[in-house]
Amino acid sequence: MQIRVIVGALAAALMISALSLVTSQHRARELFADLEAEQQLARQSEAEGNRLRIELGRASQPAAIEAQAHALGMRPIDPEARPAQP
Amino acid sequence: MNQPDQLGTLRPAPGGRRARKRHSAGDSALGAANPLLAVRLPAWRSRMLLFGLFCGFVALAGRAFTLQGGLSTQFLQRQGEARYARTLDVAATRGAITDRNGVVLASSVPARGIWAIPDDVEADKRNLAQLAQLLQVPSSELRHRLAAYDRSFVYLKRQVEPALAKRIESFNLSGIHTSREFRRLYPEGAITAQLLGFTDVEDRGQDGIELAFERTLGGRPGLRRLVKDRLGRAVEDDWVREPIEGRDIRLSIDNRIQYIAFAALRSAVEANQAQGGSVVVLDVASGEILALTNWPSFDPARRDRMESQHLRNRAVTDTFEPGSTIKPFSIATALEAGLVTPQSTIDTSPGWLRIGGRTITDTSAHGLLTVEQVLAKSSNVGTAKIALQLPAQALWDTLTAAGFGQAPRAGLTGAVTGRLRPPGSWREIEQATIAYGYGVSVSLLQLARAYLVFARDGDIVPVSVMRSDSPAPAVQVLRPQTAQAVRRMLELAASEEGTAASARVPGYRVAGKTGTARKLRDGRYSDAYVASFVGFAPAAQARVVIAVMIDDPRSGRYYGGDVAAPVFSQVAAGTLRALQVAPQALALAADETATSTR
Repeated sequence: MQIRVIVGALAAALMISALSLVTSQHRARELFADLEAEQQLARQSEAEGNRLRIELGRASQPAAIEAQAHALGMRPIDPEARPAQP
Repeated sequence: MNQPDQLGTLRPAPGGRRARKRHSAGDSALGAANPLLAVRLPAWRSRMLLFGLFCGFVALAGRAFTLQGGLSTQFLQRQGEARYARTLDVAATRGAITDRNGVVLASSVPARGIWAIPDDVEADKRNLAQLAQLLQVPSSELRHRLAAYDRSFVYLKRQVEPALAKRIESFNLSGIHTSREFRRLYPEGAITAQLLGFTDVEDRGQDGIELAFERTLGGRPGLRRLVKDRLGRAVEDDWVREPIEGRDIRLSIDNRIQYIAFAALRSAVEANQAQGGSVVVLDVASGEILALTNWPSFDPARRDRMESQHLRNRAVTDTFEPGSTIKPFSIATALEAGLVTPQSTIDTSPGWLRIGGRTITDTSAHGLLTVEQVLAKSSNVGTAKIALQLPAQALWDTLTAAGFGQAPRAGLTGAVTGRLRPPGSWREIEQATIAYGYGVSVSLLQLARAYLVFARDGDIVPVSVMRSDSPAPAVQVLRPQTAQAVRRMLELAASEEGTAASARVPGYRVAGKTGTARKLRDGRYSDAYVASFVGFAPAAQARVVIAVMIDDPRSGRYYGGDVAAPVFSQVAAGTLRALQVAPQALALAADETATSTR
């Protein structure tokens, strides 16, 4: 009788352990998939960041600024130019 | 299992007996009814069958044990892995190159290569035309590629935008694939082209900084094993080899000054119809290269238009005879030796001097000049007379200590040593000509570096293209007093009295020396010139050394003072403004303004 109880308990424990193993394995895979997705996002963001830095470089190019200033009718300061009469 | 039944169906051939056996086993009543039909089978047959089956099962068990039990498991593991595991190359991103303020000068962005397995391509004409249009290649070219000799792999186009690659993937054409790669972008384009160099299609450095710092910039790709589930999602991973990302490097270049130098140089080369030119800007305190630019240049984004003669970083790789820009070193040597003082007089009349059958001439007869006027007027005769009083070794020592005849270790590819022969072999005429810059050859970077001696109280630091926080130790070349004296002379040379009045910068005092040298062509001096100017600003507390070289100006003017000095003036004005150096001669300028308005 006692042996039956022990065997039953062990069988139940075995079932629970097996199920939890499967669950945790599943959970691990889910987490890994999430991690993968986030890492992918990180890589994309980095590539995007690189692209933006290049764009910033392009926009802050002295040549671009000068062209824009020219378009706005601005001109470089000339220390020899006479100060405007008040 | 109904064994007799199965056997019966398996081996129906000796039908009669089998049927009888079934009858005897299944229906004993019939057998009893008819004893003739009751046949006793020999016992060995069933045992034999049993034994055969046993052997079969033992063989199966043995095989299962060898495959699963650890004796020879590789086969199944390999097969299993082939079904769920993938080994992927993980590309390492090449490091970026930035200027001293962190502005990106070169950076890699993801791109895609489009490739095909020609044997597998089953696209119809319309699909191919669409693909050709997307890739911007003629469809004839596309067909030609798909008909290539190698039937298993051909690139259709490389380094295309990822978005475009996605569109191509969405067509789901069989046999057309994409792969990950990188594309190198240079936002500054032609302005930094020769300095930075370029990379090949595999993102490996080929020239310039890209090549010189390949080990730092280039990473090492990794290898990663992925386990995928039924839906193709990665569920486990394992690094076979971790990728090493390329590191960024920060140059000493200032992109604003680089642009100022580039723009001034380009307009000067074009205005003077010159073959080319270079500008070098050095930071006096640290020896860092703030700008290094050449024209003609090339656009690194347009490989198809690159011309090989424009790829050279001329300021570093090409040498020229410097002419008068060497004179300050000869005069400094004489001052150092105590042979002359800035106020000693030299008779340069009648404007020419014969040495050993050769004649040295001045542009005009200057008569009696002080030493500082010799430099200001750039008198060849005066310089030769001073230099001939010197031991050759002393002149050689000064020039060598100033870096002539040695390649500057700036971290740039192709840096040349120039030519400075050992003093033992100098004849008298050579000593005279070397003193005013013929018979030696230098690169513009060497020349710019040498002027650090005058800009910095007589010592010199190594030049560097990398940003550094701790300047390298300086080496004393001249006594500070000598350097200061030459500095005053150079300031005079860049004034109304000198040859380089057009080098002046409003609001600042500048110092510098012009050079105009005939070019050697096939061993003879030709009628082509190299016009140069090397100077520093502000004169007393120099922040930058600027060297300008214009090769073969063809518009009629060829003197360094006319061609190169204005470039110096523009670059110096822009650079000092960019570096926020307060104008020192402001009071003077204000006075001038007041006078001119009066």
